[in-house]
Amino acid sequence: MKKIIFKITLLTLIVGSFTACDSELDQVPFDEFGTENAYVTAQDFENAIRGVYSTLTAGPLYGGSDSGGMYDAPDILADNVTSSTGGRFTRRALHNWTYGPADDPMLGLYNAAYVLIYRSNLLLSNIEDFRGESKDNIVGEAKALRAMAHLHVATFFAKIPTQSSDANGSLGIPIVTEPDANATPSRATVGETYQFIASELAEAANLINETNPVGRLNKDGVNLLLSRVYLYMGEWQKAIDAANLVTKPVAPRSSVVGVWEDTNQDGLLFYIPNETGVLGINVGVTWSQGSPNQLRPEYVVSYELYNLFDDDDIRKEAYTFQGNGYNAIKKLFGRPGQSNGQVDLKILRAAEAHLNKAEALYNLGREADALAALDVVRTNRYTTPPSGETGTALRDAIRLERRLEFAFESQRFFDLKRWGLGISRDGMGDNSDGSGQASESQNLSSSSHRLQLPISQRARDRNPNLEQNPDY
Amino acid sequence: MRTKFSGFLTLLLALVVQISFAQQKTITGTITDDTGMPLPGANIIIKGTQTGTQSDFDGNFSISASVGQTLVFSYVGFETQEVTVGAANTIDLTLSPGTALDQVVLRGYSRQNLSVATSAVVSISAEELNQMAPTTSIDNMLQGKAAGVQVTAANGKPGQGAFVRIRGTGSLVAGASSPLYLVDGAPIREQDLATIPNEDIADIQILKDAARTARYGSRGSNGVVIITTKSGNRGRDATVRVSSRYGTVSRINPNYRMMNASEKMQYEAELYALGVTAASALPGVTTLPGSPERQFLLDHSEDWEDLILKEGILQNNSVAISGGADKMDYYFSVTNDRNTGIIDKVDGFERLGTRLNVNFDAKEWLSLGVNVGYSRAMSDEPRDRNNTQNPFRAMLEYNPYEPEFVLDADGNPVLDENGNPVYNPTMDGFPIRGALETEPADEIRNTTLGSLDALVKFNKNWSYNFNVAVNWQARRTESYSQPGGILQGFIGDADHPGNKLDTQRHLVDLTISNRLNYNYASEDHNLNVLGLYEYNMNEMNFLSVRSLGFPSALLTTQWNASKIESGNTQRSRLTLVSYGLFAEYELFGRYSVEASVRRDGSSNFGEDVKYGTFYSGSLGWNIARESFFDVEQINDLNVRASYGSVGNRFGLPRYASQGVVQFGSYPGGSSTLPHRIANPDLTWETSTTLNIGLELAMFNRRFRAVTDYFVRNTTDLLFDVPKAYESGVGFVLGNIGDIQNKGFELSLQGDIIRTNDLTWTLGGNILFLDHKIVSLPDGESISPGNTFGIYWEEGAKINEHYYIRYAGVDPATGRGQFYGADGEIYFANELPEDTEHRVLQGKSSIADKEGGFFTYVNYKGFGLRADFAFKAGNWIYNIMRMQKESDGLYINSNQAIGAMDYWKQPGDTGVLPSPIYATDDQTVMQNSDRWLEKGDYIRMRNITLSYTFPNTVLERTPISSLRIYLQGQNLLTFSNFWGDPEVGISSGETLSFVDTVAPGEATLYSYPNTKSFQVGLDISF
Repeated sequence: MKKIIFKITLLTLIVGSFTACDSELDQVPFDEFGTENAYVTAQDFENAIRGVYSTLTAGPLYGGSDSGGMYDAPDILADNVTSSTGGRFTRRALHNWTYGPADDPMLGLYNAAYVLIYRSNLLLSNIEDFRGESKDNIVGEAKALRAMAHLHVATFFAKIPTQSSDANGSLGIPIVTEPDANATPSRATVGETYQFIASELAEAANLINETNPVGRLNKDGVNLLLSRVYLYMGEWQKAIDAANLVTKPVAPRSSVVGVWEDTNQDGLLFYIPNETGVLGINVGVTWSQGSPNQLRPEYVVSYELYNLFDDDDIRKEAYTFQGNGYNAIKKLFGRPGQSNGQVDLKILRAAEAHLNKAEALYNLGREADALAALDVVRTNRYTTPPSGETGTALRDAIRLERRLEFAFESQRFFDLKRWGLGISRDGMGDNSDGSGQASESQNLSSSSHRLQLPISQRARDRNPNLEQNPDY
Repeated sequence: MRTKFSGFLTLLLALVVQISFAQQKTITGTITDDTGMPLPGANIIIKGTQTGTQSDFDGNFSISASVGQTLVFSYVGFETQEVTVGAANTIDLTLSPGTALDQVVLRGYSRQNLSVATSAVVSISAEELNQMAPTTSIDNMLQGKAAGVQVTAANGKPGQGAFVRIRGTGSLVAGASSPLYLVDGAPIREQDLATIPNEDIADIQILKDAARTARYGSRGSNGVVIITTKSGNRGRDATVRVSSRYGTVSRINPNYRMMNASEKMQYEAELYALGVTAASALPGVTTLPGSPERQFLLDHSEDWEDLILKEGILQNNSVAISGGADKMDYYFSVTNDRNTGIIDKVDGFERLGTRLNVNFDAKEWLSLGVNVGYSRAMSDEPRDRNNTQNPFRAMLEYNPYEPEFVLDADGNPVLDENGNPVYNPTMDGFPIRGALETEPADEIRNTTLGSLDALVKFNKNWSYNFNVAVNWQARRTESYSQPGGILQGFIGDADHPGNKLDTQRHLVDLTISNRLNYNYASEDHNLNVLGLYEYNMNEMNFLSVRSLGFPSALLTTQWNASKIESGNTQRSRLTLVSYGLFAEYELFGRYSVEASVRRDGSSNFGEDVKYGTFYSGSLGWNIARESFFDVEQINDLNVRASYGSVGNRFGLPRYASQGVVQFGSYPGGSSTLPHRIANPDLTWETSTTLNIGLELAMFNRRFRAVTDYFVRNTTDLLFDVPKAYESGVGFVLGNIGDIQNKGFELSLQGDIIRTNDLTWTLGGNILFLDHKIVSLPDGESISPGNTFGIYWEEGAKINEHYYIRYAGVDPATGRGQFYGADGEIYFANELPEDTEHRVLQGKSSIADKEGGFFTYVNYKGFGLRADFAFKAGNWIYNIMRMQKESDGLYINSNQAIGAMDYWKQPGDTGVLPSPIYATDDQTVMQNSDRWLEKGDYIRMRNITLSYTFPNTVLERTPISSLRIYLQGQNLLTFSNFWGDPEVGISSGETLSFVDTVAPGEATLYSYPNTKSFQVGLDISF
């Protein structure tokens, strides 16, 4: 009897523990979701397009970076800022133009842009069989975002079409339109790159909604991007046409300060709300850390630029402040009473449409129209705006206004490049009175190969088809 | 498969028709060495079974055996003896010094019965561990102890572990080259080893070759470390053992010196005079020598290293009670370890542990055992990052003329509105001394390790063992940025001051194991067959919450916070199902054969490749026991060979073969974030190892040698294949590439003097390692992620540094020079463009020679032991030196005194470059091998002077043994490296322990290694 009980117990032990098992090998993740189930319903595609947008909040795009991103690099590479001895000496290679392929300059942006492109492509390849009514809008958004990411890469790493006569035939960037993990694309020409971006944006403008939820592009935003791209391409009339389709008015003078403290959203065509719990990004640390009295700025407003702001120009108050003895950059500094750098991510603004238009009109010789477009912006910035320029003075006024309006806002380096200008800094120090230490490098010739950043060596190691820019 | 195996088991069971039990009795006794000293930890095994025990600290043992069975007594370094159980119930035995070869070896799932080894295994006993007066983590103690085991301390942080590599780096992804650690059968992660109190460890077995590791299937390819906890002795009264240790710990003195205030200001003035404009605003330029302003700075200068560091305390107390009755044995312990570390204002590491191990015979045919240990490890977690939030960076960064507090004109600290001195933010903008108070972070790990065992003996041949092993860890971390604190001034929300992150992580690792054992022993034959069926499940549950807005710094939970910033929970699970059949056979005590086959299914592999089969075969032959062998001086000459395949799934994420997305948040709702591309072919990587070994014992076993040659090929490497940036997918995990490690190991040990009063033993071991990358995906070279300047290329060594070659200073101009790809010498701005000038030079971060040696003298109870560890052939990229001898680039922060030795006039040689070129040359210079240094060192890990009181003194006291000792650790280092050559983690937040691909690649201000002095006492009664 004892033996039998014993044997039964034993068998139960063995066999019982057996049955638990083979099915245990089929484990499904708790924190992740099968890709095959993620692009099916209308809600899935809403989530998916927001996923593409969320790439824009990466540091090297619009999330604020201390290794170079869309908010800072176009000014750090140009003449709007002076390196500060009060900071951590970040991005010095960019500021002094000492970068080489091994420094991976702007590799973060390059990478984030192609991550965005991959996400768009994955969405676009999955949406083909989808028949929901939101399809056109989402395809429009995905194409516009994909074009924008290509544009950001192209402006840093390639020439801009109007930059020089050989620009269109020179090396552009790889154009990627399929979600392919094994892709090793080579670089298109600048001409092909911009043609692609423009045609995608034009298609997107047709597909996208007039209005979309906050944090997402709409028709106004896509048309603004399109006018910018045509301007970069020297397609003046098309730039004007696209800019004319932008309907939102420029922020009035009274609301300009509030725009940058998130108390109003006037003139914003595309911005991303930055709330704790949803995003909560301290984007402003790209320029400085600390409260005004203890400010540790990485870069400060260049003495020259600071003095270009007239005293009755509202932007002097909205864009700059006095902190710890510096002319500090205010645009991303914080909401009222805050110094943590958490503000909404402003990406496209209505003022650009008018400045794009003014520049294009001027290039077509339509000076009166150009002046009118320019004055739309100026009347909303000054109490007694300058006006009445003609000829070269008008051109310079348009350029100056663009510099002032979009200081520290993703434009300056590209503008200098595409105008065929080099970079010349003011030679002044970082203190608010112009004393202190000046930036180490002061001038970059308009023909310098360094206006096109080198493709990172790492990127070339991974993609043998990737040709380096000349002279690196 | 399941049905087949069940059928097989049923068949085996059906064979067990006759269950009979022999007459058993309990035998007790004492084991001593030839000098009469008790031998603790000696192994006593019933020959032909897997039943055994160990002697306690006083050499006492107790074992239950049947008349006629043979007891095998063995101890490391002593001759094994066999005694047949007769009428007597007591066996007192003296073992004579002899071989290290016949030790009883714990092996995969069973104890070895063979006297002729077929496999490369190293064993470290409790006694040996005890002699080293352990640091807080056992992996650090393995260094220099075992041939073929490379140990790199992660850093000097109290409670921090080490990178252990057995026979080279077997894999190329982070975390995938660590061995499998098992504590009483439960897997434990390398980074958690510090949660085990050392006092509880009976022995550590390191399985090196495939003959043994193949038994661990898809997890054993980097070797297996088996940690066994102590047990008591049957039939013995309780022995109480008390150990206590106390000492001080401090930073190992660096071999460089930082500038003091007057030197730094002089340096600033010199550089400014040269035209380094960055110095223009510094006090060396803005104040004149001899001026009151200069004098003020000198009067209030600070030695920041002195200020930030402290002499810490090491403390250990433990009580262990062990013993047994007729049918049971027990071991109970309570331990407390404390290591305050060396940062002032930080408490460091403390561990409390308790353990109870009980085995008893419930029936004649049934034994039950419970091993349960609990520990609580608390650790302060100061930032280990590459900026001044890290005290070890800050102390080298702050200028000596910058005082700790903001001073008024009279030199008194300025007070804030609460009357507290205001910390000086310094030029770095961040006062670390203040931050250590207002930014506390700590970690608490509660670990329960349990092993529950039931052993059923059917008859003298057949037995069945059911085991459940659990490792349950609850880990809690808190990091608080207090309202009003230092960090709040930078990134705080003014309306919601203060910011706190709490995380909790529960890790459960559960192993259920069924083993059926057949054993047959006769005069000439010894056969053991083990069938295994095992299930392992590892589950992780994590949650974290971060809140803002704390009304008071004294509030340390988030209950009163005004705003929750983020919170989330996570869960993941990994499972493994295993079947194994292991056999060993010995003939005539001279020839032995082993074979194993194991089939593993793992949940993280691709759907159709979940299962893998691993096998091994091995042979051993003790030539000295042949009748034809007639060399009197040679006692043992054992030749062995093994071959087998083992898998590796470490480093492979859970669910790694599945294509998935994750979701983030974006204004308006969820956002889909593509996360991983599916790879249904993803499977384990495989190592096949060939091992040939020779074990020799001579001169009555006074001289012992073990040598092994191995070739280890790893194929189907688990590999994060970097995809083109343009693809936007980053890395995709695949099985691509091959690497090879081969090497030669040698261990020698000999008693130079052996008399009754005096013994002197010398021993040592060394590994000569040769490794290379055989093939990579598409033959393309790779700059791996999570490294600084490592480059992988086919035919090159694993983890070679990749830099432009620095050619020294041009004596004529003082400018740094470099070798171009063409071998010509250039200045940085002259290097031909569009050419890759970085080269591989065979300089790897992996040491190709590593080992240790020791000397031990014992004279009438006085012992003097010194242990040395050494490493050679590895290269370290010394970023700390780059920044502390920076040619003026980092003039804003303090510099090492060596920075002054720069080129000053034509003809100067052997100097640093002139600072005037530093900015222009920075890009090339910092991409050069100027700071790539040899990491060779010899370090005296341990020196101990001890006295063991003789029995004649103790006889009249209740004390049965008493040992006192004085010990120093890391007191001597021989190295040409600038700084400390023992480099593991560069910077813990730049590259964490688990993310480190190339341990010891670079220096970057991680916690420095420490030295200590301790006095200790071991007493038993």
